[in-house]
Amino acid sequence: MTMILIAIAYLAYAAFWVRLSLHAVVWLRAARQQAAGPAAAPGKPLHAFAMTLIDLLLFRRLFASNKPLWLGSWAFHTAFFIVILRHLRYFLEPVPDFIVQVQPFGVFAGYLMAFSLAYVIFLRAVTKTKYVSYQNYLILGLVFLISATGLLMRNYFPPDLVDVKSFVMGLVAMRPAPLPAGFFFSLHFFFVLLLVPFLPFHLFTAPFVAFEARKREFRLDKVMHDR
Amino acid sequence: MTGNGEKKKAAPNDRSFTKGLSPLQLIEIDACTQCGECLKYCPVQDVTGNPLISPPEKIRVFREFIKATDGLKARLLGPQLIDRKLLEDFTKAVYECTTCGACGQHCTVGIFTQRLWPMLRKEMVRRGLGPIGPQVNLPKVIGETGNPYNRLAAERFAPWFPEHVKVVDRADIGYYAGCTGAYEATPMVRGDVLVLGAIGEPFTMLPAEDEVCCGFPLFITGQHDMLEDLVSRLVAAYQAKAVKTLLCSCPCCVNIMSRDWPLFYKKELPFKIRHITQFVAASMKSGKLAIKRELRERLIYHDPCYLSRGVGIMEEPRAVLRGIPGAELLEFDRNRLESRCCGAGGAARKIFSENAIEMGRHTIAEAVEKKADKLVLSCPACYAKVNEAMVGYDKQIEIVDIMELLAKMIEAVDSGTP
Repeated sequence: MTMILIAIAYLAYAAFWVRLSLHAVVWLRAARQQAAGPAAAPGKPLHAFAMTLIDLLLFRRLFASNKPLWLGSWAFHTAFFIVILRHLRYFLEPVPDFIVQVQPFGVFAGYLMAFSLAYVIFLRAVTKTKYVSYQNYLILGLVFLISATGLLMRNYFPPDLVDVKSFVMGLVAMRPAPLPAGFFFSLHFFFVLLLVPFLPFHLFTAPFVAFEARKREFRLDKVMHDR
Repeated sequence: MTGNGEKKKAAPNDRSFTKGLSPLQLIEIDACTQCGECLKYCPVQDVTGNPLISPPEKIRVFREFIKATDGLKARLLGPQLIDRKLLEDFTKAVYECTTCGACGQHCTVGIFTQRLWPMLRKEMVRRGLGPIGPQVNLPKVIGETGNPYNRLAAERFAPWFPEHVKVVDRADIGYYAGCTGAYEATPMVRGDVLVLGAIGEPFTMLPAEDEVCCGFPLFITGQHDMLEDLVSRLVAAYQAKAVKTLLCSCPCCVNIMSRDWPLFYKKELPFKIRHITQFVAASMKSGKLAIKRELRERLIYHDPCYLSRGVGIMEEPRAVLRGIPGAELLEFDRNRLESRCCGAGGAARKIFSENAIEMGRHTIAEAVEKKADKLVLSCPACYAKVNEAMVGYDKQIEIVDIMELLAKMIEAVDSGTP
């Protein structure tokens, strides 16, 4: 079992990088032509950058479009980020102080992540949405399972954290250690491995697009105005 | 569906779907979260209710095309065959869009769809799948007649040009009427010229045979081969007339002129592009044009997609309308950057006419519901299609172009009409 999960872990890791590389090749090989004529000096890139940060941190565009969905989506992404920070304690030695400080918030974020995800899935199910992305549902379902198994471990089936850290550090260092005991840990880890190769690409590309959108907004007034 | 046999087709060994797109556009395709929020704002969705032709679905299918030619399997085993019907359905979906850009305006990550869709169309043209219907004849027709309507140059200005308005040979101000205005929305361009005449600053125009298409119909249908030539001809012609500011009332024309002409001309244009409402609003502010007659009516102004979301002209038309004494200006629920397409955009109004009529009726219905006396437009394509949409519709309202309205106010005073 240990060897199988370790093999899957390295395969998932490799699959992620292959996928990312293939996308990068497509981006880099694209036409060098400028497909959109801005017809105006860029102007205020720092302002655009600052506004983009706000857009990304607060999901401003989603807020403007759908407030109930924004609430669930923002809570979920924020909680997910904090949970990832909390999990860094398994990857780093010594554990940085800020990761230690974030641990109590990480526990709360774990609950928030599961509940916000359930809320988003519920909202999608009850709202008359015209477009259904089954791939999104699949990923959301997978993240919910990761979240649920994490909470089960936290509350009912705690694994040996020393074993967990040793296993994760071993994976990172390419010196695999034994799999910690516990069915839910194996399940939790397996779901994470399933998610890694299918991580939605908007996680990496949306910040660039949001930045370009902000710059475009700032330029719009300059396309045909003397300012 | 008609394939464009005359256009350059992708070479057999050039199956990639990414050659015509910029890196940013490919990143945009990856950035779509498939949330579907944009569907709430899509005018085509409003009238068809078909999510298979929606923005996220088009992006999802295009991702599949990229995967089939540039994915891991394609790289290891060679490009995968894509189902012909899927390609044709995608082509139809991308051409059924009005390219209004409302989806991009409301996109939760900010994808610039008003530009992405025309580029996907260009890619389908490159593969011999687009454009569709009579759009395929545009390059030939424009090459022969200089306009997309297959009309004679002699008919371009003569039927509507007011005799008393003087056009000089050379001037700082140039006026470009545009094909749709000149052939399909003549009250609008007549209004433009009457108002320019009333302002009194000398302006010049090209002879009818030289005022050729600005290139927008070719650009928007993805047929870019002739654009460089058309743009060079027009720029050189206006330069020869010493034009410093080129005025035009058509949103599609001003959009391509200001955003894309510099790219096809390969350098900065030797003159500024301005929408006619910018010039008129400034003239009203400076006192060169005064509207004395009162109009005690409720006016509702519709923002054309390529004027508001396209080039950011939103306040000047309103300033012009507010400058009419007595007039009350109403707003659509969705206005300015958020405006809803009237159905005439994207070169789809004649091919998907039923969609366009129904979208036009949405606009009419809201204007009637808000108890407006006049629906004021500022785009020749909107003007032609919304007028067509009102034929046989139970809701009726007077449709008027903004310059047509202004010209009536001026003419009434000039002719002594109370």
